[in-house]
Order: sequence, then structure tokens, then C-alpha cells
Amino acid sequence: MSKEQSERRALGVLRMSDDWNYSMNGETVCNGLWIDPRTKIVILLLCVLSATMAPSMRYEMLLVLLIACFGIACRKVRYSIIGALVYAAVYFVTIAALKTHGSVQVMLVAFLGLVHKVYPCGILSGIIISTTKVGEFLSAMNRSHASRKIVIPVAVMLRYIPTVREDWRFIKDAMKMRDISPSLKSFLMHPGMTIECIYVPLMMAASKTADELTVASVTRGIENPKTRTSIVQIGFGIWDAVVTVCFLALFLVGQFCKGVF
Amino acid sequence: MIELKQINFSYKVSRAEREGGLGRSGQEKGGLQDVSLTIQDGECILLCGRSGCGKTTITRLVNGLIPRFYAGDLSGKVLINGQDIADLPMYEIAEHIGSVFQNPRTQFFNVDSDSEIAFGLENEACPPEEMKRRIDLTVKDLDIGHLRGRSIHELSGGEKQKIAFASVYTMNPDIYLLDEPSSNLDMDAIRDLKQHLALVKKQGKTILIAEHRLYYLMDIADRIVYMERGRIAGIFTPEQFREFSEAKREEMGLRAASLNTVHPKVVSQLPSDSLLELKSVSLRYQKRSVLDGINLKVGAGAVIGIIGHNGAGKTTLSRALCGLHKKSEGQFIWNGQPQSYKDRLKRSYMVMQDVNYELFAESVRAECAFGIRGATLGLVDSTMEKLGLTPYQDEHPNTLSGGQKQRVAVAVSMICGKELLVFDEPTSGLDFDSMAQVAELIRELSAAGKIIFIVTHDYEFICRTCSRVLHVDHGEVCDDFPVSGVTENRIMKLFSMQQFAKGD
Repeated sequence: MSKEQSERRALGVLRMSDDWNYSMNGETVCNGLWIDPRTKIVILLLCVLSATMAPSMRYEMLLVLLIACFGIACRKVRYSIIGALVYAAVYFVTIAALKTHGSVQVMLVAFLGLVHKVYPCGILSGIIISTTKVGEFLSAMNRSHASRKIVIPVAVMLRYIPTVREDWRFIKDAMKMRDISPSLKSFLMHPGMTIECIYVPLMMAASKTADELTVASVTRGIENPKTRTSIVQIGFGIWDAVVTVCFLALFLVGQFCKGVF
Repeated sequence: MIELKQINFSYKVSRAEREGGLGRSGQEKGGLQDVSLTIQDGECILLCGRSGCGKTTITRLVNGLIPRFYAGDLSGKVLINGQDIADLPMYEIAEHIGSVFQNPRTQFFNVDSDSEIAFGLENEACPPEEMKRRIDLTVKDLDIGHLRGRSIHELSGGEKQKIAFASVYTMNPDIYLLDEPSSNLDMDAIRDLKQHLALVKKQGKTILIAEHRLYYLMDIADRIVYMERGRIAGIFTPEQFREFSEAKREEMGLRAASLNTVHPKVVSQLPSDSLLELKSVSLRYQKRSVLDGINLKVGAGAVIGIIGHNGAGKTTLSRALCGLHKKSEGQFIWNGQPQSYKDRLKRSYMVMQDVNYELFAESVRAECAFGIRGATLGLVDSTMEKLGLTPYQDEHPNTLSGGQKQRVAVAVSMICGKELLVFDEPTSGLDFDSMAQVAELIRELSAAGKIIFIVTHDYEFICRTCSRVLHVDHGEVCDDFPVSGVTENRIMKLFSMQQFAKGD
């Protein structure tokens, strides 16, 4: 590690990656807050716990806001704001649903309840996946001696996710040319056919892509048992602590100060 | 030194495939029978032959993917410098042998170019200082400075392939293995690939390359191994190989050894009256102008090749012709009637480079009727008959070969009654036989009065099929002329111009 880098880390300065500037789909990925992939896993776990044991809806709203702030710090501004707004909409729909009666209420509340439990974790996972490089993830896992049998498939999965978006674009084109429009309306009119149109090619592409990605990684020695080095420095800094404390605090507040909410 | 000793191999057919009777086309394909081959250090070996002849299988044996990743019955030995591959773990093989694959999209394990180049070194636990030094050296040697620090989503196929090569180059292996690396590349990228191969050859590395396109390897290969049905059917030097007559080469199922021997075959007749007309059409992509001022008149039965660099706007143009790309100005006129994108969508069909995306159903017959209003049984049957698909009607489209899948897609377009067809890179990764079949198919469609656009980098294929060529570059259609013996030089120049555009 260069002297400058170690100084910066010692000072706990936000690690702005000056020579690793690049954009993905127009959004800047690496210029924001950078935390270690291991910390990300910890906060995801805390988020799952907070969401499942949430005392109230207002508390969950707070959790989503915290996640959105984290997302904005990671420079996922648009994603975070939209995520929070959608959640706010769900929040108000739920309040409205509580005012209805009978079986409609049971149905709506049961469904929305599920949404409330899953949504915060979903949006946080989105932020984490889009800000974590596969190499970083591998090196971090390697340092904490996680089993390769788990790490490598997860890494392939991480890498596979962005390819789905490309696949989807092609499939949409193919559907349009067959007179099956990939819209919500056609989904409601012919659900079977629309699902078939999406998942058949997607599955075919997925199995092929996963195979090829695995082959590409195996032939470049991903299974090497030596401690992996990384071109991007990884390691814990002060910001890892700050973020963890924020999420931990929210979790503890939810458990022990239920009266507040 | 690589030694293959009396190798017999057959791929394992999964039980589901056997029971479902799906494995028909894939069963015996790619296996090897009694293959023995010794490759000296520093030698460049070109493996060629029809699809399924076993050339890819040989590369997989050498880099250890067989039997570790692709299961099957294997006998015989593969030795690298006297050491049995079977005794080495994959990561040790990876330190000696670098592999580059066909599809640039899915051999990236990272989403940015720097991490990708570093990936192999990271796995080897190379110290960061050394890693930086080797990456800088790679970037300098391969002249890819402009590709540093880029997201893979914004790279073209050719650029991705360069990064893939670079990531292997940094690991500095003794042996380079390439499996159809040129399938998705344009002429420029092929030229760069050739230079990179020449460079590693000069460094004394061993190169083993399986390929359909042969012409660009003639100066590099030391020996050409011709394979047939899993056996080595002949080993030639490039000199011997060049001597082959066209008829013999085609009988062997091989592509041209030199593009200079390929001449336009289609007698182009100028279209009588125009059916499709584009009037000052401009295309935009996310506010950025892609192509400007396209004026075009096309008659029924015309076969038009669209050529140009990767990223020049060929895809956008073809998507616009099909009505898939909406952001455009100017007029599309069909038979005197202006066409909205919806009209175009109804009238046209694109056969995609990866046909799998447009195959949805569980059998060829079902595919032909899937989602199509007014697809009568009679029409489906007669179309399948016409395209020679009847023998496969009950098979799953996914078990067919690449060329057959294209036929299914064409069948769908005919049943839909589409009049304009766009083929996107129809010959990428196809051997000579399949290429000739696609050319034949296109001629039939043309005779039936369809308008056909072909996006391609394949000079041989253009000579076989196209009646006209559009050259797209610098945001405009910069050339548009008929293909014939007279214009041959012009086409050659276009391709060689592309070949030497960067000052070769």
C-alpha cells in the first residue's frame, strides 16, 4: 500500500477512488462512500433483523430513509430517492387499506405486510450489489476465510445480475416482433404466454451465461487457494464503523425503545 | 510441449436429454476418436473443420475444462511439458495456459476493464506493486490505453475481446488457447487480434487456436490441423493449404484461406421500382444523434448488406427498420404509404445474432404458431416443409444447431407474413456449410420478393448474398452501391480500408 493511501486511511478520509473513475450506465459508481464488502453483509443482516422485528410502520419508514441516505452516500442518488418514494406510496396505501373492512382488508394487509418486511432488504441489496465489484467481494471473502464453495457461486451470481438487463432488452424486442407486447396489460390478458415469453429465453440465456462465466473464471485460476491480492485496496476504515453503528443503533432502538414509535 | 496421446472422448449426455429424446443433434457431436498430436514450444497450431468436428473439444482438453467442467468418457493422456494435466488442479493449469473464448460478453468476470485485466493476477496472489507493473506493460504492449478504466457495458464486442486477451496476457502464460475468438469481431478488431497473436508468437509462446475464419491466421499458423468427425484428417502447412482449389476447400467445409480469392457471386439486377423508401431519416439514441440524413430506395427482392465498424450505428439502423427503435425523424415509406413504427413492426422481423432470444416454445411446430394470430395448421406445415424443418418439428428448438435455429426464426417471420427481414450477423460462428446454407436461404427469400437487410462483417458472405452494400460510418450512410464484378474493388477497398484505417 502506498504511503499516501495508508495516510488517508489512517485519517479516516472518505476513500475517493481518484484513479478508478468510471461510470456504469451513466451513473458514477465508485466516487461515493466506499465500505468493505464484509461491512455491507453485516448491515444487510442488521437490516433483515430490523425489518422482521420492526415494532411499527413508522419505524420501517425510518429504516427505509436510513437506507436511502446510505444509498445517496454511495452515489446511487436516483435509485435511492425513487426507492424511498415508492415505499412512501406503499406506506400510504397500507394506511388506507387498514381503513377498509372484511376480507378485502385481510387480503390487502396480509399482502402489504409482506411487502413491508421484504422491501427494505430488497432496496438495500440493490445498492450493495450495484456498488460492489466482484474482485472486491472475492478478496474480502478470501480474507475472512469463507469457503470457496459458497463464495465462487455467489460471485458468479453477482456478475450475472447485470447481464439480465441486457438479455431483457433482446427479449423485449423479440416479443414485440411477435405481436406480444411486453406490457402490464398483455401480462394481465395473457399471463401464461407472457411469462413463457420472458422466462424461456431468460432461462436459456442464464444457464449458458452462468456456464461461460464459470469457465472464464476457472481458467484464470479463481480456485487458487493462495490469499488473493486485490488491485483495489480493501479493508476497514472509520466509515465502516460509522455505517455499522447507524444500522445497529436503529435496530437496538427498535427493540428496546418501542414506546417511541 | 503439449502432447495429446490417443485421446478418445465423448461428451456425457444428461439423462434428461436422453429420456426426452432431445439429444439427437448434440449426441455424438464434438467427441474425439484416437487423436494424437504433439505441439512443440513456440508453435502456432490452427485447428479447423466443420462445426462439431471436435476442435473446441481439443482446446478444452488442453486447458483442463475436460473432464473437470465438461463431463464425459475420456481415455488417453494430455501432457503439458511432460506433466499429466489430470494431476494438476485447475488454478495451476491456469498459470501456464491462458484461454480466450468465443463470446466476449460472458468471459468478463468484472464489470470494469482494469479489474478484469487484473483478475488473473489477483487470483495468483501477485503483490500489488508487481501487479501494477504488469498491467502497465500489458497496456503498452497491446496498445489498449484507451480502454483503461472503462465499464464493460460501454465497450464494443471487439474492445471486450481485446480486454479478454489482455487479461490473459498479464498472466504471462506459456500457452495461449483461443476458441473461435473472431466470431463477433469486425475487420478492424480481427486485424488487431492478428497483431496481438503475432506479438505473443514472437515472444516464443505456444498458440493453439480453433477457428472458422482462416484467412487472418495464414501468416501466423505453423501447422493447420484439419479435423473431421472427431479425428485428425490431415495436417498441412499454410503453403499447402493455400494451394487447395476452391472446390476442395468447400468440400472440406472450410472458409477461404485468403479473401483475395473470394469474388462476388450474385449478379445484381437493379430493383425495378422502389417498395421501401427512406426519406432523410435521422436516428437518435438517448438524445445523441446516431445516424443522419439517410435516403434510400429499395425494391422488392433486394438483399442489402449493412457494413461498418462496431458501434457505427448498424444496430440502431436495423432496429429502426424493424420499428423497434422509435426515436427517429424523417419518413419511412412502404409502397407509397408513410409508415409509423407500429406499421414497421408489423411488416418486419429481425433474426437476431443470438437467435435463442426469439425462441419461446417447446417444439419447432409450436414455435411456428406461438403467439401468431392467424397461423393456420396448413400454413405452418407448408412453411416448415419449405424450410426443411419438418423432420425436426417435434424437437425442442434449443437442441437444434445455430443454422437450424435461424431457419426456425425465418419460418416464424414467413408465417407472420413479414415482408422485410433483417439478419443481424447471421454467420458469426458458422462453418462453411452452414454459411452456404444461410446464403441459400436468403436467396430463396429474395426470390420470394422479400426485402432483406444483413448486418455483417463477413466479406465472404456478402459476396455470396448481397445485391447491394450500405456502408455506415461517422454518423451517416457514407456509401451505397450495388455488388457486382465491377464494384468488387470498391468493396475490397471498403474492407481493406477498414483493415488499414488506423495506419497499418
